[in-house]
Amino acid sequence: MSKLFNELRERLLRAGVAPQPVDRYLNELTDHFNDLRAEEEQAGRSPADAESAAFARLGNLDDLAQAMIAKPEFQSTLHSFCVRAPWAAFGLAPLALLVSAYVLASIILASGWTIFLPQSDTPFVPVHGFALVYFGIGRMLYFWAPVLIGWAIVFVAARERLKAIWPAFGLVLTACIGAGAQVHATRTSTVSTGVPIGPTHVVLALNSANASKLIAISPWHAAALLALTILPWLLWRVRMAYTATR
Amino acid sequence: MPPRDTNPNFMNGVPELLILRLLQQDEMYGYEIVQAIRTRTDEVIAVGEGVVYPVLHGLERDGALQSRRKTINGRSRIYYSVTPAGSERLAGLADSWSNLTSAIQKMLSGGQHVQAIQ
Repeated sequence: MSKLFNELRERLLRAGVAPQPVDRYLNELTDHFNDLRAEEEQAGRSPADAESAAFARLGNLDDLAQAMIAKPEFQSTLHSFCVRAPWAAFGLAPLALLVSAYVLASIILASGWTIFLPQSDTPFVPVHGFALVYFGIGRMLYFWAPVLIGWAIVFVAARERLKAIWPAFGLVLTACIGAGAQVHATRTSTVSTGVPIGPTHVVLALNSANASKLIAISPWHAAALLALTILPWLLWRVRMAYTATR
Repeated sequence: MPPRDTNPNFMNGVPELLILRLLQQDEMYGYEIVQAIRTRTDEVIAVGEGVVYPVLHGLERDGALQSRRKTINGRSRIYYSVTPAGSERLAGLADSWSNLTSAIQKMLSGGQHVQAIQ
């Protein structure tokens, strides 16, 4: 039973059907198959014969797949969002998520600096206690956002059996932005006393102030991010290829 | 067991008509629907039973059917029933089908008449 349904799942997902309707279809098919098998067993067939008969009545793989793929509304409603608008799913969405994470991290940095380090002219100093946790949240957002977003892209790509091109684009985009984004923190201070006074300025930018430094460092950072995010996907693809050949 | 013959025309508008007609009387889940079609058509309309679900899901998306999950005897099932929009759709489909069968019947009768003359 599982072989037929696994093959059907693969075929539907590869055709671009969204996972949710596929899951629902397979759940109902499984229930139906169990009913058919029970009916055939009650009619006196052996379990093996009952299973074969139930399969025959349920329909073959081509019919079951075509019943969903060939429907007129397939293109408009059953296609997953990632198939219908990959530019949005793997271009705009990661970009928006990354920017949101960085903005939030910057807000945490600026507010933490104001609250916990009012006399310091930089927020990048050792802190303790609750300040450590507070800044730690911002730091985690800043450093892990590109990785988590990359893993989300990989998860969606694997779950929906997407072709590699758009997820790869999303991963490269995420890695490049993750490697290029930098936070600059400044605070004006009095010339005579050197005591920092407000307001604080936390600026998020793709680093262009020191282009030569960026070129020297960022490609490695981007490559590391890309490797970290793409590795689970590659492992999954290898596993799927191995499973398919067995 | 050899696979049963299926009727390829089943997917061309007829399933919607049969399903809506069945569900107008009572709510049913997929297996019940297929068995009811089989029984009430004296097995003239035979179908790969699994293909009924995309039809059900499509009708539900169109608002002609509604579904709810019910647990009976420890088994959870999705039961379908007709909505008011589904009843209207059924009336339209039934009219079209009646006109079509009348026209075909007339055509077939005419054919016999021509043969009888010859």
